[in-house]
Amino acid sequence: MLAGCGAVSRFFYAPALTALEASGLLRVEALADPSPASLAVLAASFPRARQTARLEDNALSGRLVIVASPPKFHAAAALHALANGAAVLCEKPMANSVAEAETMAAAARESGALLAVGLYKRFFPACEALKGLIEQQPLGPLRFFTIAEGGKFGWQAASDSFFRKSVTPGGVLLDIGVHVLDLLLWWLGEPDSLLYRDDAMGGQEANCHLDLRYADGVYGEVRLSRDWPTRNEYHFFFERGVVRYKVNEANHLEIHADGMPILSGTLHGMSPEPGRLQLGAPLRTNPQSFIEQLRNVAAAVHGRAPLRVPGEEGVRSLRLIERCYAERAGLLDMPWLTPAETAAAEKTASSNP
Amino acid sequence: MKIALTGASGFVGTRLLEQWRLGGTHEAVPVVRSYGSLAVMARFELPWAVCDILDPAALAKAFQGCDAVVHAAIGDPAQIVGMAESVYRAAEAARVRRVVVLSSASVHGQAPPEGTDENTPLHERHAMVYNTAKVRAEAALRRLSATGSVEVVLLRPSVVYGPRSRWIADAARQLLDGSACLIGDGGAICNGIYVDNLVHAIERALTVPQASGEAFLVGDAEHVTWHDFYRTLADALGVSMETVRSIEPPVFRRPLKERVGDWTALPATQKLLPFVPGKWKRLTKLLLANWQEPPAENAWTLPAERPSCAVTEEMTLLQQCRWRLPIRKARALLGYAPPVSFAEGMRRSIGWLAFAGYPVIPR
Repeated sequence: MLAGCGAVSRFFYAPALTALEASGLLRVEALADPSPASLAVLAASFPRARQTARLEDNALSGRLVIVASPPKFHAAAALHALANGAAVLCEKPMANSVAEAETMAAAARESGALLAVGLYKRFFPACEALKGLIEQQPLGPLRFFTIAEGGKFGWQAASDSFFRKSVTPGGVLLDIGVHVLDLLLWWLGEPDSLLYRDDAMGGQEANCHLDLRYADGVYGEVRLSRDWPTRNEYHFFFERGVVRYKVNEANHLEIHADGMPILSGTLHGMSPEPGRLQLGAPLRTNPQSFIEQLRNVAAAVHGRAPLRVPGEEGVRSLRLIERCYAERAGLLDMPWLTPAETAAAEKTASSNP
Repeated sequence: MKIALTGASGFVGTRLLEQWRLGGTHEAVPVVRSYGSLAVMARFELPWAVCDILDPAALAKAFQGCDAVVHAAIGDPAQIVGMAESVYRAAEAARVRRVVVLSSASVHGQAPPEGTDENTPLHERHAMVYNTAKVRAEAALRRLSATGSVEVVLLRPSVVYGPRSRWIADAARQLLDGSACLIGDGGAICNGIYVDNLVHAIERALTVPQASGEAFLVGDAEHVTWHDFYRTLADALGVSMETVRSIEPPVFRRPLKERVGDWTALPATQKLLPFVPGKWKRLTKLLLANWQEPPAENAWTLPAERPSCAVTEEMTLLQQCRWRLPIRKARALLGYAPPVSFAEGMRRSIGWLAFAGYPVIPR
């Protein structure tokens, strides 16, 4: 059942679940949302699904509950579903705080039920290939990386709760940063040290800079914005080449091995025949990666495959985000502010950590 | 003063909120049309309002308790006129004392003739529909304020630059990708105004009693050419001005769809449209949707060594301006004295480019 019928359900879960219903892999049994208008929109895609205002109005045992409500409701919904014998796929960010997320993961462990987190970019073939490049080192060891992601905010928010710090504790770092930090944790593990700054002045940050250092000497810069178009590119500098991943181009990479022309193109599966270069089908697109995430969760529920992004992984990225906020090194330098404005901004920022 | 600000998520609105909030000068009520527009202003805790700016009743609710309104929202030509009327009616319903409206120097055209000032009569025969819409918006506000209770002050800035400005970001991008061009030698006048100078003009317009009912051209204090503007950015980005091509003014032929759009936006056409049968409207839309413009250029050419020139119709007109718009009326009546020089305004704008990730050379 789908709990929460807002924008993420409309634009991501509805088309993905429709495709999976058509393949016979699963069936959407019920929809839950307090807003009749939001329910009606999703009901158009799933006319046979029961429509309910509350998750609690449904029998959950043995079902998969997709929690896609606003983040402040994630913990309560997931805990209720787990306590009633359901498996849960929780949309990112997993919760509003590490404490909530840990409670959810602990509940899953205790109940033995499955808890997955919707960090679907791990299913991008380009992100999988990058993990292979970092771990198997065909271009030598990774030395340095730069990440610039984000642009003018374009998501169709249905209320201002997403922008109220009292309701949603973080801005761009918690929003798009949760994917970025999850991927970095997946690729490189925990950083040794970090330096984090943002531009929040009593509210949520619209821009943030994060510098990371790792035990093996690798370091990187992350620049996120929901204010202004960034390059939307990840650059990885290896000992013998550079790799570029463009944000959300799920099956595309550009590779520049030293001394060679730049290779830019779609990632394909290899033919199973060893020693022979034969292109297989193009690997998953962005929407297909989202579907693959759901397929993985469904397979894991039936015990046919290991779960690729369990609750503990969602806790890790949230923990790193909380560490950034806790160790915030101050305001970003905003050189267009006057000295008096800068002083006022720093005062406001430091009194509203 | 408690001030409602329409267009609070735009580039001028963002800077206004920064100044008001960090300077503690005014209590701001930002007004925007969608929740997504809150993303940048949410850096502050603010009592924002989200409503349809074309709906005077909803807007009046947002304006309740405000002493003044600054109207800085942008939109398409029909919205520009509609919002001006809506903002005035809402301000009146909410008993607001004064509305300061960001009109535009383009009511005189992008390249106004010598001698143009606030006394120059306005017309509706502009090449750009934006200019005509601004003329109509001003006319609507004058008509409403002639009998209404709310004071109106019109500000007419031209090229407003600064952090987040398209003039800065577009020029920087074009300089970096090799598509930057200047009309002729770039010696035409850039009637620019650094955003903080516009904020200063807004501050004066909010408070000076004798500003009521007046329109003011506002700009920087210096005489600046487009070559000066581009050279300052090119130096900061380490790009040689030799890469900036000098071109003749291109001729623009606007697509049929746009021309039909202009025609339907005319007030007279708007009055007639309700009488046109729906079938005819649907047929026209279908024809327009399937209309193929003739191919713009010959595809059988050698590969380009550089990207083609990025020059819009608006920029082409601006870069033919030979008249420095006077700010003497604003100085005399408004007490306008631009506090930021062109050099300092560009230094701050370049600082923002570095903040936004552009490859600015450290000095």
